[in-house]
Amino acid sequence: MSSIHFPIYSLIILLAAAVAIPIMRKNFDGFMKTFIIAALVGAWLFSLGSLINVFNHGPHVYNFGSWTETIGVQLMIDEFSAIMAFVILTIAGLIVVYSIRDMEHEIPLQQFGSYYILVYILLFCMVGITYTNDLFNMYVFMEILSLTSCGIISIKRKKENFLASFRYLMLNTIGSLSVLLGIALLYMVTGHLNMGEVGKVIAEVWQSYPINILVSLGFMITGLSIKAALFPLHIWLPDAHSTAPTPSSALLSGLVVKVYIFCAAKILFRMIGQDIVIALDVPTYITYFAALSMIMGSIFAIGQKDIKRLLAYSSVAQIGYIFLGLGLATAQGFSAALFHIISHALMKTGLFLSAGAIIYNKGKRDIRELDGIGYEMPITMGVFTISVLGMIGIPGINGFMSKIYLSFAVLAADKPFFLFVILASSFLNAIYYLPIVIAAFLKESKERKNIMVLDAIPKSMIFPMVVIGVSCVIMGLFPQLVMNAIEQVAPTFLTLN
Amino acid sequence: MSILKSIIEHINYVASAILFVIGLYTVLTHSNLLKKVIGINIIETSIFLFFVSVGYVTGGRAPIVEASGNHVYVNPLPSALILTGIVVAVSITAYALSLIIKLYEAYGTLDMDEIMEARSGQTNE
Repeated sequence: MSSIHFPIYSLIILLAAAVAIPIMRKNFDGFMKTFIIAALVGAWLFSLGSLINVFNHGPHVYNFGSWTETIGVQLMIDEFSAIMAFVILTIAGLIVVYSIRDMEHEIPLQQFGSYYILVYILLFCMVGITYTNDLFNMYVFMEILSLTSCGIISIKRKKENFLASFRYLMLNTIGSLSVLLGIALLYMVTGHLNMGEVGKVIAEVWQSYPINILVSLGFMITGLSIKAALFPLHIWLPDAHSTAPTPSSALLSGLVVKVYIFCAAKILFRMIGQDIVIALDVPTYITYFAALSMIMGSIFAIGQKDIKRLLAYSSVAQIGYIFLGLGLATAQGFSAALFHIISHALMKTGLFLSAGAIIYNKGKRDIRELDGIGYEMPITMGVFTISVLGMIGIPGINGFMSKIYLSFAVLAADKPFFLFVILASSFLNAIYYLPIVIAAFLKESKERKNIMVLDAIPKSMIFPMVVIGVSCVIMGLFPQLVMNAIEQVAPTFLTLN
Repeated sequence: MSILKSIIEHINYVASAILFVIGLYTVLTHSNLLKKVIGINIIETSIFLFFVSVGYVTGGRAPIVEASGNHVYVNPLPSALILTGIVVAVSITAYALSLIIKLYEAYGTLDMDEIMEARSGQTNE
């Protein structure tokens, strides 16, 4: 078993699990639960294997079916894709463990099979999009990803879910079609679809076709920012993320929107190259929209009453941070963006899972009804509080470290204006997040019966939340564990051409 | 005259740009759900036209390689890619139409504005 095939194995396991679920059992019993967890653990082990392999022996490319990169599909297994695939599968694994019990009150048991088919195809596409080095392959993964992510929203079969997923589908399709148009424009100039080959051609001829490359980049970045919900294009996100079943919201908000940012980063820095992108002045505009997103997402979140809708708007703001890091177009900004991708994935998953646990146990979604819930669900609210403090940027939690890295990157790039935006956004975060925590722990519940009890939710739901909460704190206290790995990514990513 | 000539030479690109705009306009302005799906389909068609036109070589033949003769061939890669693109487009249309059926069952209308009114009425009560 040669280790260069590890990424393919993890992709194949996910796809094969999705195919095998409908043909194995009609009922979703204990055997099926074991099977889906085993499949995910298998894929996770292979991604861990490829991560270790990359750090020991350096990055490598994988030509699918041994065709050369000019003809065939190529996977690029470097530090970036190995780390990100590992992060995606780790967090997705926790969400899947949580979902087995939580989905019981969201959808009927007969539909569990269909739900996990969709989830596994979704994971397959996310990992594939992270590894791939081919533009058209990226587009196909993107389309499957948008179909499956609409599918895991509409599976709840409520009116709002159908409407939310219809909107999501329409905007997502416009987004991926504009990415396809951008790919066509690039193909017109270069005649290649492989990112490396396109990059080589563009590095030679970009001065002859600046407008063509600019238009193509414009289409691609706009399409990807529709899908990643950058501020003016975020309108689909609150509905989609708040009506979806909780595990789907956690997957969509924590992981799926990030995958599109990986695509944007690959297109901007790996394919076109840092120098050309700066010469075309694209990153400046990205930073403007990112700053708008950071402020406006938080302002919209202030007025929300529904807890999941509030979390969804907060995602819009946090996506702004990540795009700000990308838009600085420096190695430091890029590593801050990657660090924030990982820490936001952890924090937002923790928030959605604990909000879902409150809905599971109490059936309450309105943040005004959460008074004194900290005494009835201490573990859940503990995880919620850790993630909230991280979102605001209290030292000791990973959110603080990512804000610090981002602030240093902003100062190093000599754009101090964005430091004020980061600070303002943090204060706005505190305005809408802290009242929930204060009400939960310091106010008294109206129908309070006992002094303090442990959470009355299944252990398989508590376990993922606790793991996420603990890893938020570990990443906040020892950020070097993650940052050392990420700092190896940035230079290889930015100077590949 | 030279403008007219260049338009005629690049009629494929001009047509695909016009179709793209028509499709985008339809999706964004019409409140009928079916018309939105049709708009998406028009955008898809415009991009497929554009992509296939990129691969066209003037006077080229279908890319079936023969042993004899040194012919000019049309670039087969865009056509092959668009075949995949069409499959994706069909599946998206099918899914969108099934969602429309469900929405019609739930709200009794195909108009987005009326659905939004019905929704806001529900939340106010």
